Amino acid sequence: MLLLLILLPLAAAILVPFLGKRQVWGVALLGTLLPLIAGMVIWLSLGIDWRSSNGDISSLNQTIPWMPDLGVTIRLGLDSVSGLLVLLTLILGPIMVLCSKTAITERVRTYYGWILVLQAAMTGVFCARDLIFFYICFEFTLIPMFVLISLYGSTNRKAAAIKFFLYTFTGSIIALAGLVYIAWFHASKTGTWSFDLDVMKTAARSMPASTQWWLFLALMLGFAVKVPLFPLHTWLPLAHTEAPTAGSVVLAGVLLKLGTYAIYALAIPMLPAGAILFTPLLAVLAIIGFVAIGLVCWVQTDVKKLVAYSSVAHLGVCMLGMFALNPTGLQGSILYMINHGLSTGALFLLIGMMYERHHTRSMLEIGGLAKRMPIWATFMVFFAMASVGLPGLNGFVSEFMCLFGAWQASDTWLGSHFVAGTPGYLGPWYAVIAGVGMVVGAMYTLLMVGKVVWGPLKLPHDDHGHGHGDSHGGHDAAHAGSLPADLTGREIITLLPLAGLCLFLGLYPKPVLQAIDQSTQSTHKLILDARQTVRALEGGPIIPPMPASNNAAPADGAEMENAR
Amino acid sequence: MMMDQMMSSLSPSFAPVWSLALSGGGGGGGEGGSALGVLASLKEVPLSAMVWLIPGLPLLGALLAGLCAVLKVRSKLPAWLMVLCLAGSFAVTFWMYQQVAATGGSTFAVVHLFDWINFNWAPGKAFVANFSLYVDPLTCLWMLFVTGLAACIALYASEYMSHDVGPGYCRFFFAFGLFVFSMACLVMGDNLLLLYLGWEGVGLCSYLLIGYFYQKPSAVAAAKKAFILNRIGDLGLALAIMLIFVKFGTIEYAKLWPMLTQYLQMAAAGQFDQIPTSVQLIAVLLTLAAFGKSAQLPLYVWLPDAMEGPTPVSALIHAATMVTAGVYLIARTLPLFQISVAPLAGLEGTWFGFVSQISALEIVAYGGGLTALLAATIGMAQFDIKRIMAYSTVSQLGFMFAGLGVLASYGAAFHVFTHAFFKATLFLACGAVMHGFAGQLDLRKLSGVMWMKGWLIVGLAMLVGCLNLAGVPFTAGYFSKDVILAEAFSVGHFRPLAWILLFTALLTAYYTFRVFFRVFVGPKHYEPGDELHAHDDHGHDHGHGDKHDHGHDAKGHDAKAHFHPHPPGWAINTVLALLAIASIAAAFAYPTYFVKGLVDTSTAQVAAGAAGHTHVGGATIFGYDPHKAMYYISGIVGAVGIITAFFLHYLGRRTAATSAADNLNLGALQRAAQNKWYVDEFYNFTIRLPLKVLSHIFHMLDKLVVDGLVNLAGLLPRAGGAGLRPSQSGVLHGYAVAMAAGIGVLGLVALLALR
Repeated sequence: MLLLLILLPLAAAILVPFLGKRQVWGVALLGTLLPLIAGMVIWLSLGIDWRSSNGDISSLNQTIPWMPDLGVTIRLGLDSVSGLLVLLTLILGPIMVLCSKTAITERVRTYYGWILVLQAAMTGVFCARDLIFFYICFEFTLIPMFVLISLYGSTNRKAAAIKFFLYTFTGSIIALAGLVYIAWFHASKTGTWSFDLDVMKTAARSMPASTQWWLFLALMLGFAVKVPLFPLHTWLPLAHTEAPTAGSVVLAGVLLKLGTYAIYALAIPMLPAGAILFTPLLAVLAIIGFVAIGLVCWVQTDVKKLVAYSSVAHLGVCMLGMFALNPTGLQGSILYMINHGLSTGALFLLIGMMYERHHTRSMLEIGGLAKRMPIWATFMVFFAMASVGLPGLNGFVSEFMCLFGAWQASDTWLGSHFVAGTPGYLGPWYAVIAGVGMVVGAMYTLLMVGKVVWGPLKLPHDDHGHGHGDSHGGHDAAHAGSLPADLTGREIITLLPLAGLCLFLGLYPKPVLQAIDQSTQSTHKLILDARQTVRALEGGPIIPPMPASNNAAPADGAEMENAR
Repeated sequence: MMMDQMMSSLSPSFAPVWSLALSGGGGGGGEGGSALGVLASLKEVPLSAMVWLIPGLPLLGALLAGLCAVLKVRSKLPAWLMVLCLAGSFAVTFWMYQQVAATGGSTFAVVHLFDWINFNWAPGKAFVANFSLYVDPLTCLWMLFVTGLAACIALYASEYMSHDVGPGYCRFFFAFGLFVFSMACLVMGDNLLLLYLGWEGVGLCSYLLIGYFYQKPSAVAAAKKAFILNRIGDLGLALAIMLIFVKFGTIEYAKLWPMLTQYLQMAAAGQFDQIPTSVQLIAVLLTLAAFGKSAQLPLYVWLPDAMEGPTPVSALIHAATMVTAGVYLIARTLPLFQISVAPLAGLEGTWFGFVSQISALEIVAYGGGLTALLAATIGMAQFDIKRIMAYSTVSQLGFMFAGLGVLASYGAAFHVFTHAFFKATLFLACGAVMHGFAGQLDLRKLSGVMWMKGWLIVGLAMLVGCLNLAGVPFTAGYFSKDVILAEAFSVGHFRPLAWILLFTALLTAYYTFRVFFRVFVGPKHYEPGDELHAHDDHGHDHGHGDKHDHGHDAKGHDAKAHFHPHPPGWAINTVLALLAIASIAAAFAYPTYFVKGLVDTSTAQVAAGAAGHTHVGGATIFGYDPHKAMYYISGIVGAVGIITAFFLHYLGRRTAATSAADNLNLGALQRAAQNKWYVDEFYNFTIRLPLKVLSHIFHMLDKLVVDGLVNLAGLLPRAGGAGLRPSQSGVLHGYAVAMAAGIGVLGLVALLALR
C-alpha cells in the first residue's frame, strides 16, 4: 500500500514527458490527487489502530529485498508521526500543482515532472524504515528542488539553488557518515550488516555516551541544516525568496520537516544519551533563532523574505519543544511541524498570488491590497493570525505546548517542586525568554499585514494604468487577461483546504495529539533510561550538563517514574 | 448617617435571594470557613447545556455576517441578524442568571461542550483544557452586561455604520459577533486556557475593528499598537498558565480552587513564608496580563489610540467590556492573589531579589491608582471629546484595579458594572455627535448641541453619563466609586492610595463636566468635521455601492458651506434612552446588593479575615468610619469638580472656542498634559528605536557574519584553486569547505559549552 503512495507520483512523472503541454497540468494534478486519495483510504481503513499504535502499524509493513549482502532492503512502514507527515505531504501535493497553473507557462513538462518526483521522494523519506533507502530519498529531494529553484526562480535563482544544494548536501554527507558508523558498529559486533531502522536503533543505544555524543553531533549537522537551526540557516531565506511559489510552499511545508522528522525519528531514538548531552545548547540555539531571527524579520522589506525568515523563527520553537525531550514538548514539536507546513505554506501561496499580479514583493512598493483584493486580504489576515499563534487556530496549540514543554522539563524551580514537571534539562527561563518571541512574532507579522493588506492602496508603477478598484479590469502585460484583480476560483480552492485544516487543528487537535501520544511517551522513556548512561559518564571526559538543583533534588528520572 | 439609614431601609424590600445567601454563608462558617469564605462551601450544581447558546449565538451572528459578505448583501441585513442573535444570547444569559440565583449562591456549574487541548504530559497524567463553560455568580454578572450592552450597541451600530452598507458593514458585524463570542469564552471558560482563547480572541476583534477604516494609516497603526501591547500582557497570562499548571497540575477552576485551601489558610494565619515563592509569583504574572488588556501603566498607551475605531466599537470594546477583562481576570483568580499579598520573602538573597519587595496586590493597587491619576490629568487637557472619554476609561479602570488591590473585589466589580452602562452611554452620545457633525470631535468647535433640534435625547443621555462619571450623589457611579474609596481608606497601609483616588475623583468630575458644559450647553455653534461623507450619504440613498474615500477635498469644501447637522435617527435615540435609563437604574444595584450578592457568593469574594485585608482597627477619616464618611466626602469632591467646570467652562465662556480656563496660564504643565506627558515619545525612544536598531544589527550580523563566513570560506578555495584548475567549479568546493568550517566552529562551541 505504502509503495503505491511513492509509485503513483513517479508513474505520473514518467508519463509527463510524453504528454502535450495542455495535458501535463491535469496529469500532474491527478498524480498528486490519487496518492492523497489513497492515503486517505489507508488512514480511514486503519481507524482507531492508527491512533493508539506505538511504533509502526504492522499491517502497513512492507519489505522488498534490495542488496542482501549489505543488509539493505526497501522496508516501508508508517507510525503515527510519520503517518501525519505523509498526510501533510500528500495534501500539499495537489496544492503545489494547483498554485502553479498560471505562474508556470514555460517548460511545463520539466516543472511538473520534477514536482512529481519530489512528491515521491518526500513520501519515501517518511515511509522509509531502512536507513539507506531513507538517505537516498532524503538526498533525492534536493535534485528536484535544485531544478525548481534554478530554472523557475526569480533573479538571483542560480546562486540560491547552488547554495541550497551544497549547504544541505554537505550537511547530510556528514549525517550519512554517522549513520554508516552506526551500521559498522553493529556489523563489527554481530558480524552481519544491516541498515534496518529498528536494528540500528538498538545498536546505537548500546553505545557509550561519549560515542553517542560524537554521533549525535554528526547527525545533527546533517539534519539541523535542513531544519534549519540558527547558525546553519542562511541558505533558507535565499532559497525561499528565489524559489517559485510551489517551491517555497513545499520547502516550508515539507522539506524543512524532513530535518525535524529525522531528528525525532532517527537522531533522538538512536542516540538518546547524545540528545541529552546536547540539550541545553540546542535549546539555546533554538531560542536565538526564535527571538533574534524574529527581530530580523521585523526589518525586512521583501515580504517573501520576511516569511522565509519567519520560518527559521518558527522552526526555532519547534526545536525548543523537541529538545524539551518530554511528552509535552515532543507532541508540541510534532504538531508544530504540521501546523507550520499549513500556515506558512499558505502564506507563501498568498504571496505568490500577489506576485503573479503585481510582480513585486517589496513592501515599499505595494500596500493596501485589502481594497483591491478583499478575498485575498481575508485569507492573508487569517493565515497571518494562524502564524502568530492566535488561540483557536492551529499555531497556538503547538506553540503553547513547545514552550510549556520547555518549562516543564525541569523538576524544580526556585527550590520548590513542580507537581507537573518532568525530569529534564531546560526549565522556566527557557520558556520565559522564548515567550518574548511570541511578542516579536506579533510585531513582524502585523507589520507585514499592516503594510501589505491595510493602508492606502499602493501599486507598483507599471501596474497603475490598469483598471483600478474594479474587479475585472486589472490585468498585466505578462499574462494578458489571465488573472482578475482578486482571487480566482482555482486559487480559492487552493487555499480553502489549508484554512479548514488550520481551523480544525486549532479547535480540535485531540485526534492528532492522541495519535502521537504513545510515540512521544516512549521517546521520553528512552530519554529517562539514557539518563543513567549519561550519569555513568561522570568523571569521564564529558560532564552531563544538568542543572545544579536537579542533582540536589531527590527526584530524578527513574525515581520519579516509580513514584508515579 | 441619613444616607446610611436610607440604604438599610431600602435593602430588605429589594434584596431577594442574595441577602439570604449572604447571611447564611457569612454566619455559618467556622474557623476554616472564614479564612476560605465561599471556597469552603462551594458546591457544584447541574445546569442545562443550553448555556452554550450564550457564546454560540454571537458566533452564529458572525458567521451569518460572513455569509452576507460572500453573498454580497447590500442591505442592513447583517445588523438585524446580529441584533437578533445578541438579544437571544442576552435572553439565555438572563435565564442562566435566574437558574444560578435560584440555587441561592456559592454554587457553580460546569457545562462540557467538547474536548480542546488534551494531552498526556506523562503516562496517565493529562493536561486538560476543554471547551467547557464555568457558570457561577461572577460569570452571570459579567455576561449579563456584556450580552445586554452588545445587543444595544449592535442596534446603535446598525444606524451608525449605515454609510458603509455593503462589504464593510458585513466585516464590521462579523468582527462584532466574533468579539462577543470571544468575550463569552473569556468570561465563561472553565479553564485558564479557554480564557486565554477569549483573551486573544477579543484582542483580534479589537485589532480588526480599530483598523476598520483601514485606509487611514493612523487607524492601521493604532490597531497594530493595540495588538502588540496586548501581546506583552498575553505573554504574562501564558506564563501564568504554565506556572499554575506545573504547581497545581490543573488549570480548571473547579479543580484549582480546592487546591488553594491550604495556602489560603496559611495566608489567613499570616504564614506567607510557608507558601512557595513560585506560587506567589503567579499573581504577579496575572497582573501583567490584566494590565495589558485593561490598559494600565505602563501598557495603557494603546487605548487612547484605539479611538480610531468606529464609535460603537469604542463604546463596547474599549469602554464597557473588553477592557474590563483584566478586572475579571483578577476577580476570577482572586484566591491566587490572596495568597500572594506578602512581599515575596522567599526571593530575598537570590539574584532576583529585586522582586522581593513587591507584592502582587500592591502592584495592582498602586498601578491602578497611578494610572487613574495620570489618565485623568491627560484627560483634563485634551480637546477631542472621544479621547477625553478614552482617558476617562483608563482612569476609571485604574479605580477598579485600585479596588481589587485593596481587596475590595465587590467594589471593583460593582464599578465595572456601573461603568459599563454609563461609559457606553457617554461614548454613544459622543458617537451621535460625531455622526451628526461629520466627524467633529473638537470641543472648541461645538457648543450648545443639546439645544439644537432633535438633539435633546443625546444631550440628556450625555448628562446622565456625566453625572455618573462625576460621581454625583445617588448615581450609580457615585455608589460604586464610594465602595472603592471607602475600602482604600479602611485598609491601613493604602492611605496614600486612597488620597490619590480621591484627588482623581475631583479631576474626573471637572473634566467630565468640561465636556458637557462646552459641547452640550451654551451658545449654539458648530463647525462640521472632515468626514462629510456621512452627511452626503444620508442625503442620497443608503445603499451607496462604493466605499468612501476619507477626506475628499473638493467635495468637502463645497459641502461645508451648506452643512447642517443631521440629528440621530430612531435606533440611536432608542439605544441612548435605554442606556441612560439603565445607567440610572444601575444605582439600585447598590441598596439591593445585586452585585454584592453575586460577587460575594462567587470565588471573587474576599474571605473575612483574609490576610492583607487588615482593616486598621477603627480606621477613621476625620473621625468617622470611612464607609460612612465617604458618602459625604466624595459627594463634596464631585460637587467641587463640577462647580469648577461650571465657572470655567459655562459662565466663563462667551464663544465656542474659548473659555475662562484658557486664562489660567499653566504653561509647560498644560502643554505636557496635552501631549500626554510625552509617554508615547518616551516609549518610542527608549524601546522601539533601540529595538529597531538591534534588529538591524542582528540582520547585519546574520548577513555579514553568519552568512558571510560561509561565503568567505566559499571564496578561498576558488582563489587558491583558480591557478591550478581553472575549469573546476570552485563554488562547489567553496561551499563544501565553508560548510566544514561552519561545522568545525559549531563543534568547537559545543565542546566549550559542554565541558
